[in-house]
Amino acid sequence: MSEHDAVDAPDELRFSRVFDAPRELVFRCMIDPDHLTHFWGPAGVSAPRDRITVDARPGGVFETVMVNDADGSQYPTRAVYDEVREPELLAWTESSSGMQVTTEFVALGPDRTEVRIHQRFVPEALLAPEAQAGFLTALDRFDSYLRGLS
Amino acid sequence: MAMTEERLDAAFAALADPTRRAIVSRLARGDATVGELAEPFDMSLPGISKHLKVLERSGLISRRRDAQFRPCHLEVDALDGALDWIGTNRRLWDERFDKLDALLADMRRPISPTGPPNRKERAHE
Repeated sequence: MSEHDAVDAPDELRFSRVFDAPRELVFRCMIDPDHLTHFWGPAGVSAPRDRITVDARPGGVFETVMVNDADGSQYPTRAVYDEVREPELLAWTESSSGMQVTTEFVALGPDRTEVRIHQRFVPEALLAPEAQAGFLTALDRFDSYLRGLS
Repeated sequence: MAMTEERLDAAFAALADPTRRAIVSRLARGDATVGELAEPFDMSLPGISKHLKVLERSGLISRRRDAQFRPCHLEVDALDGALDWIGTNRRLWDERFDKLDALLADMRRPISPTGPPNRKERAHE
């Protein structure tokens, strides 16, 4: 019955990356502002150290401000941790969008770690700072999308 | 282009199915009739029609009422609205992870004989 199709919506997106580093270290990078400042902003966007707040425990805040290097636009994001299990799992919910982000750290070996991001998204995320940063062309997006399908 | 939430929900729901994604990919190359779309899928015309109805309701495709074979047409703006979010989000994590990769490589490169490069981690414990 066709109505069934309307409800089988994906409520999550997944990304993963394998890093050549021990799980404890990769986990620590995700909750230490001294490390986060070096990678939290995507290309062309900084995440100043003094604007990052991490209180890594359930109910604790995770706040960042991303600054566009080109025009100085600022994109503050506030989230609250739902679950913190060092060194295997981090989960938080973004306050403005309600988007839930779960990060799993899987040890593939002593010096190899897979990081798996699961995002339960909400459409309001369209208005999220990163969506407004405008560092993507329509062509890039289509390319990413097609790669995601294969 | 700002999409309404309902529209975006419908687009994501429609794209949740691999057959429908394949149909969208095919239509990205040009309009096609139901028969042409059914061909590569080993699926009955009613089966394909069901998927097309979902895509049509989501606004991702449209069908001409006047032409005999009612060719399906991809509504690029609607798809773009959905892609905007998916692509931006994917890129965000890709770029973050590129930087994290570089950071981890730096941290693990032994610089000083006085201690392991990650000795700072101990300070938190």
